[in-house]
Amino acid sequence: MTKIAIVDSGVDTPEEILMAADIIPFRFFGDPSLNITKANEHVPPNHCIWARNLLERALNGLDADIKGLITTHGCDCTNREFDIWLECVDLDFMYFLNAPLKRDKAAIKFFVDDMKELIQQLETKFNVKITKEKITEAIKLTNKIRNLLKEISEYRSKMVLKGSEFHEIVKKVQQEDKKQTLAMLENKLEELKNKETFPEKMKRILLTGSVIDDSEFIKNLETLGLQVVMDDICIGTRYFWDSIEENGDPIKALSKYHLKKPIYSTKIPSLQRFDNLKHFTEKYEVDGVLNVAQKFCEPILYDHPHMSKAFKALEIPYLFVEIEYSRESFKQLATRFEAFAEMIGGK
Amino acid sequence: MSKGKVIKSQMLGATQKLKNEMGRHYLAIEQAYREGKPVAWATSGTPVELLYAMDVQPSLPENSATISAAQKYSQNFIEVAEDAGYSYDLCSYFKTNMGVTLTKTTDLGKGGIRKPTFMLSSDVICDTHVDWFQVQAERFKVPHFTIDVPHVVSNTTNKQKNYYKKYVKEQLWEFLDFMSDILGYEMDMEKAKEVANNSWDLSMVWQDIYKLRKNIPSPVSTKDTFGGLFPLFTMPGLKTPIKLYKRMYKEAKQRVDSGVGALEEENYRLMFEGIPFWYNLKFFNFLEQWGAIIVYEPYTYSFSKFMNPDITKDMIVSNPVESMAELMLSFWYIYDLKTRIKKFEETVKEYNIDGVILHNNMSCRPNSCGQYDLKKHLMDDFDIPCLIIDADMNDPRKLNTTQVTNKLESFIELLRERKKR
Repeated sequence: MTKIAIVDSGVDTPEEILMAADIIPFRFFGDPSLNITKANEHVPPNHCIWARNLLERALNGLDADIKGLITTHGCDCTNREFDIWLECVDLDFMYFLNAPLKRDKAAIKFFVDDMKELIQQLETKFNVKITKEKITEAIKLTNKIRNLLKEISEYRSKMVLKGSEFHEIVKKVQQEDKKQTLAMLENKLEELKNKETFPEKMKRILLTGSVIDDSEFIKNLETLGLQVVMDDICIGTRYFWDSIEENGDPIKALSKYHLKKPIYSTKIPSLQRFDNLKHFTEKYEVDGVLNVAQKFCEPILYDHPHMSKAFKALEIPYLFVEIEYSRESFKQLATRFEAFAEMIGGK
Repeated sequence: MSKGKVIKSQMLGATQKLKNEMGRHYLAIEQAYREGKPVAWATSGTPVELLYAMDVQPSLPENSATISAAQKYSQNFIEVAEDAGYSYDLCSYFKTNMGVTLTKTTDLGKGGIRKPTFMLSSDVICDTHVDWFQVQAERFKVPHFTIDVPHVVSNTTNKQKNYYKKYVKEQLWEFLDFMSDILGYEMDMEKAKEVANNSWDLSMVWQDIYKLRKNIPSPVSTKDTFGGLFPLFTMPGLKTPIKLYKRMYKEAKQRVDSGVGALEEENYRLMFEGIPFWYNLKFFNFLEQWGAIIVYEPYTYSFSKFMNPDITKDMIVSNPVESMAELMLSFWYIYDLKTRIKKFEETVKEYNIDGVILHNNMSCRPNSCGQYDLKKHLMDDFDIPCLIIDADMNDPRKLNTTQVTNKLESFIELLRERKKR
């Protein structure tokens, strides 16, 4: 089946439109083991390290079944780098989806217009018909997936499912055929219902910050006694927390869904992200909050001092780290994580 | 390489009056505060004209930040902001402004600034503008309006631009409502037209000054343009800066007519892409020892916003609100890569430019993004020599003077060799 790669520094790409065209939405992830060379010829050294990694991967060659790409408006870096991708990545279909910065009525209307344009360009390029009925059908399927993910997510908090394993599941859902992932999730849920809690005692962490697509990063936290019981990241709850309206105009429903779900740092007013985090800290009785910024990730860097102050006021332990997109830095980070694990209480 | 005799470029006499003009602007801000009149912070690229049309005094923190830098205070303010948790890697304008706020600096001579009535930002240039004002609006507890401008990329179609415009127009009307709710009165359309008219005239004179720079020798140097651009984004809509620009034009024209250049001996004509180092403007004089002069800066030109040939004065004046949408979407500073390459190539030809210096500004990632590809195209496709230098507009810690000087020396040497061909 044809795949379209998605480059998104948030999680605002309406996968359902692609599914309605019988195309697999394939969220494009980085590879932290990659040696960056080619991307350095296009992107200055002080630009987002994760976006640079994505470009390197693309320049090294994409899978043959990837026939196109959508970059969704997120941060300044991914926005501006789209033109570079146009210059040097060999794909026939490339669309810049202008997911609005704002979330009001005018923004919802605008996003509908841009999605309609995406539909039209897809129809022309791939000779398909994307009907509203097919989009609604896709929405029903992704809603089922979202609900299952939400249920499965709870097993992190019950100390039955490791945060890293859950992260891998969400990644899989964002890259594979949704019908297949539905069956995989149903099986996983059944398996979890009969599973025992972990034997080891772990501290309960809420993970927030930039796009974190390396599950090994979360595994590394686990080796230090930190379990991610909840998150508000794009390869996490922000992908599945809310459901899309199944009645009425599906394009408008998609627009509303993306602009009404809990806010991310790439949107405005991003400081409201704290409200959702606060809610999670209470509901999931976390011991501490970990805010992770990929190096040069401006949206997170702007929000961090506000978050730090707000969590301090609530007397909730908060750790902010900037990471290089490389596993070589794990050992260095371990010292900070160990100190944090020691500092925070265990419920 | 051996250096030539030291020749200092001559600033236009009229540019010396810029200080008075900007002084009047700051005085107007101060007076508005004292009299309790509405003052709005605005980011560059926003339609400041609408503030003047609503009798709101604009105050641009970016402009104040450049003063901090020029007066050698910016590093101190930046470090105060970093102590408060704002990363070394964030925008130095933002951190200067944050440092000013945290130290409660109101002295305008140091780039000080006061609490506004409300704030206006836009992502037209960068998301930083929006994040910056969000953080400050939260701190000052004042209302904040953002104009979300869709991002135009190299393959954006005209059809897409049309609904982009529709979205921006809708927000401009919402912005007027936002101001009316705060101020308690509506915009006077006649006043808006007058402001639009003045803004157009101001921009046109600036463009005329630029056209004179096509002459060899160029009558105008960056000594006139780096500071000279300020009225374009702080006072678009007022009459007095038009007079100043007209004086600058007249004087520059006289230089052209008499065959006199800003530099006594003009050997190399350069283009400078990016924001200058405000804390070290003298650095640009360094080029003069080789008879090198910068004759075009997209940055200072871009703020003469009325450069879309499809937009006429009539359209602006008769429709002073909605016409701003078109302008916000066709701003030189944010051109997509394909258009940027084309515009650079055209400009190099029009202005007889020998080489292009690109500033990889550590603080302005949107502007520096694409510079590597831009350089590659200009060099490979059009045989235009280019040099990228790494520095920062407001943070002196990020300019390695020795390294940049060495690079510039080698670049001039290269240009000299080419001239010999």
